[in-house]
Amino acid sequence: MIDTYTRLLEVTAEIEDETASSAAITKLIMHLKSAGRMRMLPQIARELKKVAARRSALRPHVEVAHKKEEAAALIAATREGIVVRHASVNPTLIHGWRAQSGGTLIDRSAKRALLHMYQNIFT
Amino acid sequence: MQTIIERIEKEIATWSPEAGAEEVGIVRATGDGIAEIDGLRNAVMSEMVLFDPTFDRTLADALKDPNPVYGLILNLEEDGVRAVILDDTSKVYEGMLVRRLTAESSPKGGLGRLLSIRVGESLIGRVVNPLGEPVDGKGKAEATVARPIEHQAYGVIDRAPVHVPLHTGIKAIDAMIPIGRGQRELIIGDRGTGKTSIAIDTIINQKSEPSATRPICIYVAIGQKESKTAKLVAELAARGAMEYTIIVTAPASAPAALQFLAPFAGAAIGEYFMEQGKDALVVYDDLSKHAVAYRQMSLLLRRPPGREAYPGDIFYLHSRLLERAAKLSKEKGGGSLTALPIIETQEGDVSAYIPTNVISITDGQIYLEADLFNKGQRPAINVGISVSRVGSAAQTKAMKKVSGTIKLGLAQFRELEAFMQFSSDLDADTKKRIDAGRRMTEVLNQGRGVPLPFAMEAAIIFAATNGYLDTFPPEEVGAIETKLQEYLSREAGGLLIAIRESKEIREESEKTLREKLDAFIARHTAIA
Repeated sequence: MIDTYTRLLEVTAEIEDETASSAAITKLIMHLKSAGRMRMLPQIARELKKVAARRSALRPHVEVAHKKEEAAALIAATREGIVVRHASVNPTLIHGWRAQSGGTLIDRSAKRALLHMYQNIFT
Repeated sequence: MQTIIERIEKEIATWSPEAGAEEVGIVRATGDGIAEIDGLRNAVMSEMVLFDPTFDRTLADALKDPNPVYGLILNLEEDGVRAVILDDTSKVYEGMLVRRLTAESSPKGGLGRLLSIRVGESLIGRVVNPLGEPVDGKGKAEATVARPIEHQAYGVIDRAPVHVPLHTGIKAIDAMIPIGRGQRELIIGDRGTGKTSIAIDTIINQKSEPSATRPICIYVAIGQKESKTAKLVAELAARGAMEYTIIVTAPASAPAALQFLAPFAGAAIGEYFMEQGKDALVVYDDLSKHAVAYRQMSLLLRRPPGREAYPGDIFYLHSRLLERAAKLSKEKGGGSLTALPIIETQEGDVSAYIPTNVISITDGQIYLEADLFNKGQRPAINVGISVSRVGSAAQTKAMKKVSGTIKLGLAQFRELEAFMQFSSDLDADTKKRIDAGRRMTEVLNQGRGVPLPFAMEAAIIFAATNGYLDTFPPEEVGAIETKLQEYLSREAGGLLIAIRESKEIREESEKTLREKLDAFIARHTAIA
């Protein structure tokens, strides 16, 4: 049951119209009250947090080694189907960029290339 | 130095930053050797993944420990996958990047996409873990062929009937429960009844086989104490048996996933040799612990528990493993893979879940009884319920000729022996049968680590079944048999070679054997 309500709220979260989604949540809470299932609400909230964390981990994002590489990285990432407005700076990449969305990773950083080279030589 | 520089320059020259998109996942949660992973939507069952420790570290930190941790996907779920961790579980953390294995992400010489191990002749004499990595401190094994650990067993068309014997060197087994190459014979019994000893003696006995037909032996230690495995390796090495043996070990301290994989790795190695047209023997010691490891994994993977909390596919787990034992047809090279699975029973209960499963899968069982063991019978085989369904098809003519009535005689003896406890007044015929049974039991008694060559076994059993030992009281037969062995080795070397090469006791050989036995008996009766 908790899964069903969580899934329902997950779908509601995808509704862009805030008034509509707010109304849906109000109706769900009223339903829980009338069905005597208000005790489930904390568990639903906990499950929803997990879903949010999962989505956040898989959300589209682009990282660049230096701020100056941002524009080129965003264009290249868009070409690969990963569209975001800003890139975050991650100096551990050394040079280049990497983009992640859903379960897809495109890594064009120097760090990755150097590690790959290291593995090819020493393993 | 110059070589290294050249190598690095070559790598730089061929490097392109245009890496393609790859499918990755993120560890959502981890614990008890299981990782829950988000993403990896296109992953398949039994696929290898690698947990990348370098992704969120600086290059300097990543280079300190660049080795990935491998995982095996065993659950495909609506919102992700679950994988078992095949390495140090403490290295996997929440939020860690998980990669699918591709040509790029797999380290050179690494594993295939589906769980595979590298096999080859170089593994012979080595102790490896279920991933094929040597753990004996003798350096890398240059195994070249990657074989999937899970492999569909050969079908009916590709198989030939089991007809070539695999001599264990244990008189009681070779005479009454013969094992053929390609057969699956279960060794079952309580703890401490000599199950492993039978398997080890069988491996040691292959030393007496000509090198062309000697099977490659694979001993798979599942959930064993490492000290026991070390002792066993030392024993095999001391007896010269490591020259044709591979040990696959997943000790009790290894993750359940590795214990689960160990017998499949052993089967994959055995199949490699079988497909080369060679014979291989694989010992799974033991499948009870394997079932326990699989139960642990299944419960952690939240699969529904069934009888004794084992998962519903526990029968399929063992049947698909043991079905891989086969004798291949001539068209397929004629190789064979013989399996000797071991099952430990509790208080002699063969009707428990796992024992009945494996009994029904295998082509027979050698049942070892604690009572017989405590009475001093070695090996402590209960002849009544031990059976080989391949039967005399896997016996040489010589052994068939000498051992025809032993099993029946011993079964009658056991019945009479029980009856004897209630009656002190026995007729002469019954007493004679009982004495004959006792003598045969003494003849079949054989200590650990002394497997006999097949020709010697045939000669000894010939002497016992043809009444040559009837002049001695049953309690002296053991000592007389030892002397007979020494005598035959010394005085009848040519005869033993003739039996070994022809695999039968021909008329002239029988005549010589009778002469030698008469001479031996005459000498020892005179001394007595």
